[in-house]
Amino acid sequence: MNEYLSNGRLWRLCQKELRESLRDRRTLFTLILMPILVYPLLSMALQRLVIGSVSKAKAEAVFVLGVADEETANNFLQLIEEAQRLKSEGFVSPITTIRTQDPKPMDNAKSSSEQAESSESAGDEIAKFDIVQPQKESLESALQNGTVDLIITKLTIESVKLERGSVPRHDIQAEFRQNDFRSEGALSGLRRITQFLNDFQSDRIRTRIDRKLPVAMTLKAKGLVQPADLSNSIAGVIPLVLILMTITGAVYPAIDLTAGERERGTMEALIASPAPRFALLLSKYVAVVTVAVLTALANLFATWMTLSFGGLGQALLGKSGFSIWTLFQILPLLIIFAAFFSAILLALCSFARSFKEAQAYLIPVMLLSLGPGLVTLMPNVQFTTLLGIVPLLNILMLSRDIMLGQSSLVPAFAAVFSTIIYACATLVVASRLFGAEAATSGSQESWSELFGRPKKRQLLPDIGELAIFLAMLFPVFFVASNLGGMFALKGSWALFFNALILFVLFLILPLIYCCYRRVNIPTTFRLSAGIGAGEQLFKRAGRWVGYLVGVTLLSASLWMVAFEAYLLFESWSFASQLTDADKERLERLKADFLAVPFWIVLLTAAVSPAIAEEFFFRGFVLSAFRSKLSDFRSVLFSSCLFGLFHVIAGSVLSIEKFLPTIILGLAIGFVAVRTGSLWPGILLHALHNGLVFSMSRYTEQDLAKWFGEDTRHIPIAWLCGGGLVMVVGAAVLFFSSQRKRIHEDPI
Amino acid sequence: MISAENLTKQFNVRGVPLIAVNNLSFRVMSGEVYGLLGPNGAGKTTTLRMIMGLLEPDSGFVEISGLRSTNRSNDIRKKLGLISTNDGVYPWLTVREMLLYFADLYAVEPDVANVRLEELANLLDIRGFVDQRCSTLSTGQKQRVTLARGLMHDPPVMLLDEPTRGLDVVGSQAIFRFIDLLKQRGKVVLLSTHRLDEAERVCDRFGLLHRGNLQFEGTLDELRQATGKQHLVDMFIAFMNAPNKQTAASIGPNELSNEA
Repeated sequence: MNEYLSNGRLWRLCQKELRESLRDRRTLFTLILMPILVYPLLSMALQRLVIGSVSKAKAEAVFVLGVADEETANNFLQLIEEAQRLKSEGFVSPITTIRTQDPKPMDNAKSSSEQAESSESAGDEIAKFDIVQPQKESLESALQNGTVDLIITKLTIESVKLERGSVPRHDIQAEFRQNDFRSEGALSGLRRITQFLNDFQSDRIRTRIDRKLPVAMTLKAKGLVQPADLSNSIAGVIPLVLILMTITGAVYPAIDLTAGERERGTMEALIASPAPRFALLLSKYVAVVTVAVLTALANLFATWMTLSFGGLGQALLGKSGFSIWTLFQILPLLIIFAAFFSAILLALCSFARSFKEAQAYLIPVMLLSLGPGLVTLMPNVQFTTLLGIVPLLNILMLSRDIMLGQSSLVPAFAAVFSTIIYACATLVVASRLFGAEAATSGSQESWSELFGRPKKRQLLPDIGELAIFLAMLFPVFFVASNLGGMFALKGSWALFFNALILFVLFLILPLIYCCYRRVNIPTTFRLSAGIGAGEQLFKRAGRWVGYLVGVTLLSASLWMVAFEAYLLFESWSFASQLTDADKERLERLKADFLAVPFWIVLLTAAVSPAIAEEFFFRGFVLSAFRSKLSDFRSVLFSSCLFGLFHVIAGSVLSIEKFLPTIILGLAIGFVAVRTGSLWPGILLHALHNGLVFSMSRYTEQDLAKWFGEDTRHIPIAWLCGGGLVMVVGAAVLFFSSQRKRIHEDPI
Repeated sequence: MISAENLTKQFNVRGVPLIAVNNLSFRVMSGEVYGLLGPNGAGKTTTLRMIMGLLEPDSGFVEISGLRSTNRSNDIRKKLGLISTNDGVYPWLTVREMLLYFADLYAVEPDVANVRLEELANLLDIRGFVDQRCSTLSTGQKQRVTLARGLMHDPPVMLLDEPTRGLDVVGSQAIFRFIDLLKQRGKVVLLSTHRLDEAERVCDRFGLLHRGNLQFEGTLDELRQATGKQHLVDMFIAFMNAPNKQTAASIGPNELSNEA
């Protein structure tokens, strides 16, 4: 295996696939020509849509106008009636006519064609308003919710003295929703009415026909910036188009490099070679992802050009438009998406025997992927935490929110993390499917071999199995960690609930999975005591004592490292971003927590997580990595996963936990590998958690007494002592254990 | 040396069990060309796949130079070369790129691969177009590239799966010359074909396979003595007409074929 995964060879395998893809004119066509063709067309269509809907709103709609009281309503109604009366009497606003330079007289405009309607002359119609007075909500919220299109916040009438007598003057203050066609249409309708009446008045002054001047008006309008509204749906179009184009770029290479091998008659030679299927598939995957990313880049650039220089960006996305910064935020998302979707495409195409078959498989998937796309187009669909784990939808929603400049951290993290896990799992499935058909003749047989129960027992799960299991576990874990918050559990109930979830997810599910896949449980989870049964009683007892002492010493010093790592992370301004409300909530949580009896805390937050998490992270995960990788890498990777899973805690992202958890993971990983047993690690984990939670029972004043008045940090003397204790603990463990690799053990 | 011992493989075709290869044993020595002969569906391809380790036999095993195929599949694959009917080329790669790619697949070191490429280019007369893209090659040129591909890792054992199917006289001649070359170099050659006339020309020994069973085995002289017939074709017709209670009932026509 290693002679193939050595960098040079794998890279040469990738080179072949890249050459094959990038020299193919069909790939280049979708890569270069499509963006050049699609975006100008799309921009024209969008521009028509935007303009079309604005003029439609102007011409046909009856707008809903919100007012605060009856007086305002009556005054406004009078204005409208005045305008309508003047209109029916045939008054033509001279100023408006001159300004728009409409060659047609007003009377003809009504009977004229559509073209006239969509031009400015449609604006000469008196807009129709329904006047409502919201009962259940305030004017502003009615505007915000879209129940009214426009609100009048103030309408005052005062007398203005002229040479001969006085005239009333109306001052109107209105508010509208920015970037909402309907609301902006209502505003321009109102503006035209005031304009019309002002024109009429100035006309009268000029011609002095009538000295009883009816109205003079001012209109002040305030725009309300809408975070989630129609602009959402338009902003959703752009990621959808980008993602569809990225898919389009990846489809052809994916088919060509898999089903194409069969059609060319090179597949048999390929799988008859000793090169591992995973290496073959990985090189194809690299090529497909590269083409997909290149397509994404080309499309992103074309979108940016179109939006920035076509002037459409500001219309769709607000003032800042589609900035370079947005571009750099969207790009990594597109890359992650390309990585995910390329794996799906490869998995599907690997099973196909021909181009045609591959296309037949892909069409339903493409259609299915349109579904989430349509969801993002719906206005007012918020990117919630739980949507963060829905594949495809999460990336679409996240990029939409980034374009609107309103992304939030937790769903973003969930989206990125889950998509990466899904991509890995899909890639594993793809590598199992790849070439399977060429080896066996009956397709049903190969399906059941891939996903059914294997016939042979395995000593350890492999990394592929881990990827598939993680892809199933992570969504469940994510939903479950949000459940506690949903039920609004408090105090000891919340703790018990968490412990239950940990047990189900990290202990019971891996055990069921191992049973189903015939993975040997004692070797996978290191259930043996790590003490040779054949040894003398004296020696065995010595090992037991050594483990106990080593683990106790380690746990007595590890909490200091965790504590300092936590402070370090906190100083990186993560905690300072907390709002007052957050701080208050945390204080409340802490108070709840302190009210819980300490033995319950120990049971639910120290002992049970220790058992459940050790079974999973130092059992299943570590064993899976060790089936292929060196001990050091296995411990490192399993600790990283351990850390990542701790970052997600309910609906908040506890980034500050990442570093301390990784350190703990490394320490326990060392213990697990060294002793060959899970149990010392469980003890260490439980002791560590117990110590940390006992610390949290003390107030900051108590800590200050110990550590010195003005610092939260642990005193240097303590740290030095801790370091010494840790070294001694590690040494005791090291010398009291015998090193051996688990899968060399006979079952 | 190839040594197949009691190979048996059964498939389920739409729920009906089907014995593709039944208790098959044979040996092929170095420098020997062994013809595995039989009509379509006799189990030739299934046998080759079991030798390559792509299919796991239900019972029995294959040994290549002393290595069992079930245990050390990858080590065995390095010792095997495979050339079959439908072999294709990569249209967008040059001949050199394609051959070096296959060298990498077999974990041949790059400098060794380059030397071997030069040698094969001379031997198989592909020097003239070694830097051309494969899509520009003629059928005969593609065929020679395929033969070179099979030898890039210099395997001691060569499996030829119906190599002449669909080729004209000139193409077939090239294959015969290739087999001679392999023989000269002391390779173990296993040729599977249903072209009995060709087999008579190139093979040293024969195994006649029918419905998964090895009916006869031996040199042409031994077969003539045993059957009383002069040519392989006549021998084949003779035993195909003879009723065989062992397997005939369980086999449908062409069900085993993966070649189509």
